[in-house]
Amino acid sequence: MTAIVVWLRALPKIQVTFAVALLVLGFLITAQVTGEKPRAQYSTQERAPLIQTVLDLQTQQEAFKARILELRRQIGDLEAQDPGAAESLRQLYADLEDARLAAGLIAISGPGLAFRLEDGTTGAGVDALVSAQDVRILLRELWLAGAEAIDINGERVASTSAVIDIGGSILVNSAYLAPPYEIRAIGPPDLYDRLRSSVAFVDFVQGRIERNGMSLSVAPLASVDLDAYAGTVNLRYASPAASGPP
Amino acid sequence: MNTRHVGPAHGAHEGGHARRIPRADALSSRLTVTAVAGLLGILAIGQLRAQSGAPALAGLSATDLTQLIANLTTGNDELRAEVADLEGQQTHLTEARDRGETTVDSLSSDLARIRAWAGLSPVTGQGIAIVVRGQIGGDGIEDLLNELRNAGAEAITVDGVRIVTGVVVAGAAGALSVENHAIGDAFEIRAIGSPQILTGTLTRTGGVIAQLLATYPGTQLTVAPVEQQTFPATDRSLVPSHGQPRL
Repeated sequence: MTAIVVWLRALPKIQVTFAVALLVLGFLITAQVTGEKPRAQYSTQERAPLIQTVLDLQTQQEAFKARILELRRQIGDLEAQDPGAAESLRQLYADLEDARLAAGLIAISGPGLAFRLEDGTTGAGVDALVSAQDVRILLRELWLAGAEAIDINGERVASTSAVIDIGGSILVNSAYLAPPYEIRAIGPPDLYDRLRSSVAFVDFVQGRIERNGMSLSVAPLASVDLDAYAGTVNLRYASPAASGPP
Repeated sequence: MNTRHVGPAHGAHEGGHARRIPRADALSSRLTVTAVAGLLGILAIGQLRAQSGAPALAGLSATDLTQLIANLTTGNDELRAEVADLEGQQTHLTEARDRGETTVDSLSSDLARIRAWAGLSPVTGQGIAIVVRGQIGGDGIEDLLNELRNAGAEAITVDGVRIVTGVVVAGAAGALSVENHAIGDAFEIRAIGSPQILTGTLTRTGGVIAQLLATYPGTQLTVAPVEQQTFPATDRSLVPSHGQPRL
């Protein structure tokens, strides 16, 4: 042992520096290479402009969503300042606020939990990748357990939201989301207990997550902040009806 | 111990046995260290960026990217229309306020639109009806509803129950229910939207109906366009009781 220490001390500093640098280099190269698996790499030339187009469209989408949220806030302020301020108007404004809250158009906070759903380890194959179906099962179980509002990687789930696969990642509200997926929900304080008592949820965890080496972690939270839904609420084919079907 | 020592270029001594190395060797060592440090820095930055949550576009094929572009383009067109609509609404409200007029009409119209979209009021419009016969699980019906939403359905009912945020069709085949309402082995799913797009999306080769028929053999799923249909409002209260508006 003493001989090793003496030998190490006798080594020139530059050799030690080199050794450490090469060690870190090796680690980083390994991390870089393994980090890219198991989602396949493609190297065809046509992909570069396609990726740039996707990035441009994503930037445009973020700008539109930010603008929508800003406009909705400004419209809410304008409506609240209405000069009439009669009782009927105040009631109308209160109804509007309730409708926006019910529709998910207002950011909310409340008790809840956060799930983190991750792919399985490298080399476990395609079954170890989180799919849209996995995310949908989790959403379904959360709704059945009493969740009032949910988002996926910050995308608020609304009545028209679809969760679909796209090349090993998912699309929610037309937003491209890459794993890991953080699914946050607001609901009753015993939301997680209700979830754990669901046979379907336990089957999902044991039969899908654990069997394929995927990872699902959960954190009950005293307060979860969910942003408002920033998509469209325009109706092209449906219009309000005077009353429901007979 | 017979160890070869390589000391720093400026000739610092190591345990009194270091030797002065030639200037060319020192320069070469410095350049090597600089190159290694530079490479290390580039790799470290790459690793940090890769772990910062940037979309994993590198893992998508050209086909996936094309599909993604189509989805993003459609989504952005809808968002652009929403922005234009909201800007018009804002202008109208600002002008009305400047003229000292009330905005009852604008408020009422906005309220009706949001309530209809959220499922809080009845809606009417064209779309499709899917007749389901046979035993199918709740998972299968939920996959069908997800595909309808993906195809742009603006309102959906299952066996007459309006599907809104939080409503789930659950249960095993033969024991389906929605909102505490038991569903039999024959029922209808209806959606308001473009009949052509909805039908085309559901019935395409390898689409959701083909998948469901393979998973639940013996089930019949028939899609037909509907010119006009009216859906009821949901009975569910959608205003959160545990969540509060964030100021």
